[in-house]
Amino acid sequence: MSKVMVWVHGDSLRPGSAALAKHPEARRVFVFDDRVIEGYRLSLKRIVFIYESLLEIEGIEIRRGDVAAELAEAARESGVTRIVTTESVAPGFARISERLRRDYRLELEVLTEEPFAGIGKAESERMDLKRFSRFWQPIKSRALNLNRSLW
Amino acid sequence: MKLKAEFRDRDEMIIYLREVFAEAAARSPEVAETRGGRCAAEAALERIRPERYASSRNYLKGAVTRLAAYLRHGVLSLEEVRLEALRRGGPKAEKLVTELAWRDYWQRVYRRIGAGIWKDRESYKTGWRTSDYATELPTEVIEGQTGLACMDAFAAELRRTGYLHNHSRMWMAAWIVHFLRVRWQAGAAWFLEHLLDGDPASNNLSWQWVASTFSTKPYYFNRDNLEQFTDGLYCRQCRHYRSGCPFEGTYEDLQARLFPRMPEAR
Repeated sequence: MSKVMVWVHGDSLRPGSAALAKHPEARRVFVFDDRVIEGYRLSLKRIVFIYESLLEIEGIEIRRGDVAAELAEAARESGVTRIVTTESVAPGFARISERLRRDYRLELEVLTEEPFAGIGKAESERMDLKRFSRFWQPIKSRALNLNRSLW
Repeated sequence: MKLKAEFRDRDEMIIYLREVFAEAAARSPEVAETRGGRCAAEAALERIRPERYASSRNYLKGAVTRLAAYLRHGVLSLEEVRLEALRRGGPKAEKLVTELAWRDYWQRVYRRIGAGIWKDRESYKTGWRTSDYATELPTEVIEGQTGLACMDAFAAELRRTGYLHNHSRMWMAAWIVHFLRVRWQAGAAWFLEHLLDGDPASNNLSWQWVASTFSTKPYYFNRDNLEQFTDGLYCRQCRHYRSGCPFEGTYEDLQARLFPRMPEAR
């Protein structure tokens, strides 16, 4: 039995996500966030789409409720103290991560996916994001692989 | 609370979800035909045609990819789609890769501003103040009962399928914000209830782009534009075609009508 548990969330439903790829044997848990469903007044079709995507992740365990509390309960059941997940930029992700660490004393490892056109977080922080054109011009040739012919 | 993860088929799953998520089902019981999951996502990725996308994407019947819902939920990664687009289209994939870059851009902005995604990034460039805009969507807009064939059809499609073509989204957003003068937040929240690809970053920032709170000028359209890219589908059946179409007119006419206080309009 693996000593970690994977937290699968709605921004990363690939069976081959960074966290699932690194821990193919680990228990994997997804929690429908009641706060999100009611806060955004999500329609049934959105839930169906997510659910259907989840069912293609082998061995997925699906829960509903308060995300941090549900994950903590699942971790306790498995005797696991470390959770691994794939990063999301959503503020809700940061909030839940913080609660897992602070309120439930769980260790949380956040893995990142291969970034678009190789632009990592450090580079992103330095970028001018005022308008799309300012973001796009400096990275355009990289994103289009235009320099490939030089090799 | 643990939920069931094994079903005989999709119908059984849907029956179960209607019970478990009864509040959502009561709000809007429709189930879209678009399938979730990696298999469906890979099949959609297999169908992309980057070159045809570039030439036809603005038309409702154009070769759009329908990948957004899979990208939004990370069923496909943006980088894998970029690589596949380039593999298939080479330099002809430029338009598609640029559109993927828009999504990436919104995500990077979201990382930076977080919940600020719900606030006006800048002031409106329309000559109107934020307080000049209504805060709620009219019921007939949501219910598709306005009498405008195009907009009523888009509202029904949004509710039924959880999808709208990008151009329809832009028309609808421009109509709500500029013609009905409703704050973009009301329209953005409505879209997020229904769009299978509903993502606060792409959705809200695109609404802000239309509204002009995240761009240098408002986006709006006239009937010729809508008629052209829809092949006249809605206009032909619209009772307002001969008179009363709010979108009829040149861009100069519309600008004078919609934004009389905009400095350039004077």
